[in-house]
Amino acid sequence: MRRASAGQNLPVVGALARRSIVQTFRRPQFLAPILLFPTLLLAINTGGAGRAVDLPAFPEVGGFLDFQLAASTLQATMLAAVSGGVALALDFELGFNDRLLAAPIPRWVMIVGRLAGTAIMGVVAAVWFLAIGLIFGAEIVGGPAGALVVIALSALAAAAFGGLGAALAVRSGQASVVQGTFPLAFVILFLSSAFFPQELMQEPAATAAAYNPLSFIVEGLREPVLYGVSGEAILHGLGGVAIVGIVGVTLTALAMRARLRAA
Amino acid sequence: MAAIETNALERSFDELRAVAGIDMAVAEGEIYAFLGPNGAGKTTTVRMLTTLLRPTAGTARVAGHDVVGDPGAVRRQIGVALQEAALDPLMTGAELVRLQATLHGIARAEGRWKAAALLERVGLSDASSRRIGTYSGGMRRRLDLAAALVHEPRVLFLDEPTTGLDPASRQAIWDEVRNLNAGGTTVFLTTQYLEEADQLADRVGIIDEGLMRVEGTPGALKAQVGSPHLELSLADGGAERAEPVLARFGEVQPPRDGVVQVGLARGAAEIATVVLALDDAGLTVESLELVQPTLDDVFLAETGRHLEGADEGEDDSADPEPEAAGADARS
Amino acid sequence: MTGAAGHLDAVGALMRRALNELLRVPGAAIPGVLAPSLFMLGLTGVFGELTELQGFDTDSFLSFILPVSLVQGATFAGAATGVNLARDIEIGWFDRLLAAPVPRPALLAGIVLSASLRSLLPITGVLVLGLALGANWPGIDGLLVAVGLGFAFASVAASWTVGLALRFKTQAAAPLMQASMFVAVLFTTSYAPQEVLTGWLATVARYNPVTRVVEGVRQGFVGEVTWSETWPALAVLVVLLALMVAFALRGLRHAGD
Repeated sequence: MRRASAGQNLPVVGALARRSIVQTFRRPQFLAPILLFPTLLLAINTGGAGRAVDLPAFPEVGGFLDFQLAASTLQATMLAAVSGGVALALDFELGFNDRLLAAPIPRWVMIVGRLAGTAIMGVVAAVWFLAIGLIFGAEIVGGPAGALVVIALSALAAAAFGGLGAALAVRSGQASVVQGTFPLAFVILFLSSAFFPQELMQEPAATAAAYNPLSFIVEGLREPVLYGVSGEAILHGLGGVAIVGIVGVTLTALAMRARLRAA
Repeated sequence: MAAIETNALERSFDELRAVAGIDMAVAEGEIYAFLGPNGAGKTTTVRMLTTLLRPTAGTARVAGHDVVGDPGAVRRQIGVALQEAALDPLMTGAELVRLQATLHGIARAEGRWKAAALLERVGLSDASSRRIGTYSGGMRRRLDLAAALVHEPRVLFLDEPTTGLDPASRQAIWDEVRNLNAGGTTVFLTTQYLEEADQLADRVGIIDEGLMRVEGTPGALKAQVGSPHLELSLADGGAERAEPVLARFGEVQPPRDGVVQVGLARGAAEIATVVLALDDAGLTVESLELVQPTLDDVFLAETGRHLEGADEGEDDSADPEPEAAGADARS
Repeated sequence: MTGAAGHLDAVGALMRRALNELLRVPGAAIPGVLAPSLFMLGLTGVFGELTELQGFDTDSFLSFILPVSLVQGATFAGAATGVNLARDIEIGWFDRLLAAPVPRPALLAGIVLSASLRSLLPITGVLVLGLALGANWPGIDGLLVAVGLGFAFASVAASWTVGLALRFKTQAAAPLMQASMFVAVLFTTSYAPQEVLTGWLATVARYNPVTRVVEGVRQGFVGEVTWSETWPALAVLVVLLALMVAFALRGLRHAGD
């Protein structure tokens, strides 16, 4: 019989991450929200509010599309996190998690495997929107290095938000509860500087945006595209991710402990 | 060392004592069947033994390890095929078995060929690249069994492995269980089907309302509640004349509707002698049937209720209203 | 019971069952009202300054966007009907209705009317919230036009998504239902007047019939209610309703295929 050691947890994390991604691509109702809706919203925002760059106080940018890409990327990663949470809750509902719980793997591997899958969806989202941006005329001022920064930050953000989704899934064990947070992903982004410069937003959204960790993450995703790679922006981005990540990990650990104690 | 040992094992859910104190010992290499009606506590017991549920009192050891103190060690030694079949409809059969292999630390290449071999063994090779969502109930159970075996467990837990299956699928599962056991695997299965316990098990534990009522080999249990009896119908109203002849062999029940009963301690072995004796007395046997006591008789003796009759009454007959889960569209 | 009276009964019963979900499940109504309301508030907070651009005939972005959210709320209610039907088909519940001697039009009428009734919740919610936060008062005529057009559009959305549900028979079609409604409502003069829109969206909005509906709902909030703005909206709704009802009925008639 094999003992599951630290080295042997990695293949399990990998296998669960792979399953998580395969699930997403095999369920249109999971994949569509992640890529389709943010893309549609990008189209509308760009077409509908594109003239905003003419406003006197609007910062110098290559184009409104260039400005919006970060928002779409972040939105997609947040929706990927909700999708991951729904899938995890379904695993509880359908009893699939019993299979994992009865196997000789540490409990945290179940969650980390799922989050690794979500992180990869974050990469997919970043690549998708960078490609769309390039196709429709945006310019990545930071070049390949900038693109890599965006992709890496997107992956980390996805994992961090995934932690929140996982916490809710573990706590409730119900897909419908996690599903209900889809609108929240949209809304919370409105309270940040994702779609519009914070200086030009109206109160109280403007004040909320000033303190919203998502604004920092967006900054980290946006700078490489608009102005090039900047250490300060990367730090801000990582800081925002860290805040979300810490909250997510804590809530997940607490929820997991409560669930296993009740079992 | 016993493969499975429990001592006053208990599990309560708020006010409900689902398992009210069970003592049992399953020997290595044994097939042990846990027989009882719906709600008896079978699944709860299995979930405790497979570390999915924590006992509220008592102890349990599986493959020499405490389920509470050393659950990791238990999980390494057990294979589990649960009632809800813990399957993902979007995965293919092959993907599921390979995942199970990875969960047990089996290297990828080895996992691949083991999965292929097991799927071949349970007759799912052709379906292995199809999604589980397209599988029939019988196929899902066979797949679950294959997944449970990928790491060659010492103890295999099967929770109602053939519930809802057609006779052919049921037989296939039984054959597989016998093969496994022949190879040395201890099998603990729960069932509500008498025939399953009778056919498969070395020993049977009858559980009702969370308690073990009686335990033993199927033969011994049945012998406890009585011996076989022969029912004969005789030509030309010979039933009354047959009574004194039959009385030499065992206890005779007065004839009813032309059918007379005699208890036969040695069962089928005595039939020929009985028929010859009747023939010598000039009596012709039109038909005869040897009726054996069943585990249901055992259950009846212990609990005052029938085992299979109690299940039939709880059938869901009408289509239920789907739950108004408020599943509105969310964008 | 057969005949018209019996059909009306069936329609009523189906409507009642659909409304049950709303009444018996606590919080079931909330997402339908919350989503468009939050969208309205969010967009106002984010894009409110757009009214500084030349071409906007109001300086209240909230008043400009409120009608869009109203229509969105109506379409969410409609789309939810389709998603719920897809679920009902998947779990086999719909077979019960199909096997009953209820004429297909009555079946559809029950489903669609219940969707329209449901839409009154988000429509009211958006109106109350928007007006409370200072949106321009549209006048009684503006209010009636807005609610009436929204109600009718909910029927269009419901018929369309019911048709999709019958076509695909799976909840996996939900994104198609939601996305198509999303596109229909937002690829219009949703964010800005026609003159302010740029590029491809300007072209799409010009030819998207739903733009007429959005403009019709918006009238009172940014100006006066006029017949010249109202009749195109009505015409579009009549045509769309006829098309979508035909689509849904076809789906019902072929449900057993």
